[in-house]
Amino acid sequence: MDTFLQVTAYGLLQGGLLALVAVGFSLVWGIMNIVNLSHGAFVILGAYIAWEMQSWIGLDPFLGMFVSAAVLFFVGYFFQRFLINLIVNGPVFITLLLTFGINMILIQGMNLLFTADFRSIQTSYGSNSFEFGNVRIPLVRLLAFLLAIVITFALVAFVKRTRTGISIMATGMDRGAARLMGIQARHVYALTFGISAALAGMAGTMIATIETFDPSKAGKFTLMAFVVAVLGGLGNMYGALVGGLMIGLVESWAGQYLSGTWVNAIAFLVLIIVLIFRPNGLVGKAFYAARVEF
Amino acid sequence: MSISTQMKTRRSLIPIALTLVAVVLALVLKSHLPGGELRAVATIFMFIALSQAWNIIGGFTGYASFGQVVFFGMGGYFTAVVMLKWNFSFWLALVLSGCFAALFAILIGQPLLKLKGHYFAIATLGVAEGMREVVINLPDLTGGGAGISVPIAGKFAKTQYLGDGGFYLLFLALAIFALGIGTLVSRNKFGYGLRAIHQNEDAAAAVGINTVRSKVMAYALSAFITGIVGASYVFQQITIFPERLFDVEITVLMIMMVVIGGSGTVLGPLVGALGLQFVSEYLRQHFTNAHTFILGGIIIVAVILIPQGAVNYLREGRRTKDYSLLTNIRKYRL
Repeated sequence: MDTFLQVTAYGLLQGGLLALVAVGFSLVWGIMNIVNLSHGAFVILGAYIAWEMQSWIGLDPFLGMFVSAAVLFFVGYFFQRFLINLIVNGPVFITLLLTFGINMILIQGMNLLFTADFRSIQTSYGSNSFEFGNVRIPLVRLLAFLLAIVITFALVAFVKRTRTGISIMATGMDRGAARLMGIQARHVYALTFGISAALAGMAGTMIATIETFDPSKAGKFTLMAFVVAVLGGLGNMYGALVGGLMIGLVESWAGQYLSGTWVNAIAFLVLIIVLIFRPNGLVGKAFYAARVEF
Repeated sequence: MSISTQMKTRRSLIPIALTLVAVVLALVLKSHLPGGELRAVATIFMFIALSQAWNIIGGFTGYASFGQVVFFGMGGYFTAVVMLKWNFSFWLALVLSGCFAALFAILIGQPLLKLKGHYFAIATLGVAEGMREVVINLPDLTGGGAGISVPIAGKFAKTQYLGDGGFYLLFLALAIFALGIGTLVSRNKFGYGLRAIHQNEDAAAAVGINTVRSKVMAYALSAFITGIVGASYVFQQITIFPERLFDVEITVLMIMMVVIGGSGTVLGPLVGALGLQFVSEYLRQHFTNAHTFILGGIIIVAVILIPQGAVNYLREGRRTKDYSLLTNIRKYRL
């Protein structure tokens, strides 16, 4: 029973992190109908920026992540405004290819700049943990988990309550109508992509404090973001949280009770089953289903 | 024979004549190339076949299969397993692995082809990633992550290794086979049905096309070609690993070639495969460190400037007398 609780706790903590990786991905997909294959590369880039911040000026990763977020916001804004916006109305595989091209450039660029060595951000409190009953909870993981939840709620508040956020939602619902209301769709799209990249950067920083990272891990995070975003339903930010926690739990349990790497196969099995039976995600209404897919 | 049918036969004779010329050229080239170059050209042939295969489901039917590599891997592993465990000859294994991949496509195609757009793309990607994990986790059958080797010489091998020249011919044959299938599909009723599904699936169903059966058949056909190419690749590589055989990059390369060449045409994937593979090989030799970096840049520029692909761009340009890239960009931009 203790093992089960421990494994469950780990799964939930890991799930929060996955949710943070996926929430930006889900936002971009839901609002702009773009599957951003370079999302994982943004995550890793965020990790490197925070790592550099720590090794240059000794900035704590929990502050460094704001630097990561700021840099990645501009990177994301730039990519959307000057590249992705140019083909945003094209067929599905055009956008997939373009973001894959960006992914190639980012990953190879990071390989050249930082080499392919494993890195991680070490902190003085990195190995602290506390006992909760018989369950051991590492401090950094808990902080990352709480941060993921706070950010998700903050993002929802931003999108629902602020003028900019509402313009993002409006553009996602009906771009034509939004433009007629005086919303600059080009700017809003770029803004959305920037926010998504910034969130990826924060997630990357958190990941760097918990585990090792290198450019080749980017693909894994993109895939995870896929799975979580689909489970939660596109553009549904609470959904990303629920999907992240679910995948975290499933992976954690499968890792404990199944042999080998069956755990990865199970994540994809869950993905395919959900896609077939509930393509709009497990949580929420079929809000985006009415949009035209092309 | 009326003039119009005469013109029709003449029009259909040109590609056949060109193909014959290309085949003769390829055969002449074979005796003049050293081993390493032979392998490089064989890889080009391999990608010609793969891109034609993807074009059937992605280009004609419009279903962006982002996990096409699953058929490559399944066909390859099928061949490796039957050659190693049951001592099949390579040629029998080749045909069977194509059928195996097609059968798998029919099984997963039934539920997956109901999905549209991104959902289909991601579901197929999930299948490919999931199957890789399955292969890794069945070490008794597939050798798991440590890989598996096919017997190529000695008394345990039914088929002796083909050598650089042999594989050159094999992949040339596969490329011609795939081009032939592509041409057939593009010109018969089945292919027009697929194009109709691409443009508007409901309308296609309304004019009497059995959309489910057409889609599944297109998927199975493209899986068959991909499967036999995977089988040949395995025999060429001798020892294979799940990471390589289910590599997403192979799918991406197929899609890139089709899209850059011009999807939904037979010529497009051919042009794309030739062009991209040449560029990629050139970059690999001249910029060892940064070749993916530059290739990524080329993809971005190509996708933005000619999103409809080179062949379609030239055809449209000839029709409208407008080759301006700016009009081209205006098409899909925000």
